[in-house]
Amino acid sequence: MLVFTRKRHEAIMIGDGVEVRVLRVGRDGVRLGVSAPATVSVHRREIYDQIREENRAAATIAHPVEDLKGRLRRAVTVLQVDTEIADGTSGR
Amino acid sequence: MTDSPSVAVAEAHQPEPRWIETRFGRFRVDERSVLHFAEGLPGFEQNRRFVLLSSDELAPMHLLHAVDGPDASFLAVDPRVVLPSYRTVLAIGDSLKLGADDETPLVWLALVTVDPERGPSVNLRAPIVINPSRMAGCQVMPHNSLYPLRHPLGGA
Repeated sequence: MLVFTRKRHEAIMIGDGVEVRVLRVGRDGVRLGVSAPATVSVHRREIYDQIREENRAAATIAHPVEDLKGRLRRAVTVLQVDTEIADGTSGR
Repeated sequence: MTDSPSVAVAEAHQPEPRWIETRFGRFRVDERSVLHFAEGLPGFEQNRRFVLLSSDELAPMHLLHAVDGPDASFLAVDPRVVLPSYRTVLAIGDSLKLGADDETPLVWLALVTVDPERGPSVNLRAPIVINPSRMAGCQVMPHNSLYPLRHPLGGA
């Protein structure tokens, strides 16, 4: 791993398109500014890790599909009831 | 967001259809129904080619099934099935990846997960977005999204 010492307002370049700049140094954290081309994805690592783990879990479902369908049907039903209440068309 | 996943991306067209085996039966697909995920999905970076399969057995869900790389297969559902108000703005970078502009009809899907303890949920935080006109897809992670990674799917 490359290690740099950077002061506030100093930056590093990654490739020729990505800049990471130190904006503020506090006691509990460092505020970074990342400038990158729009097509380069930039995410907090822990968010990315969560999504990766969730994807892995999603790929290994051994759950009865009928149960999932039932839950989805009920999800729709509940929301339709909510809509009727909002429209004032229920409770007659 | 517009349109629904019923845009039958995996509808069989000629030429050279082939059959693929899934845990929900056999589906006939051809090259024109293959979706290209340039970056794969987080955790499945080696899978770049998927088909979106639909059947009565699965509806309203679909099966996002990899046709290259290691086995990868996901149940997915239009997030508006569980949350009709669901709306997420596509980041400019994601639009570029999908070759989409503001007018492009897109298909949005939330992956279904079943946790042994928490039960079934859908991932509204990081939806799959597909541009059928380019047959391009990606999983987006909008910054500051308030939608949960695990939106529970009601009681049994």
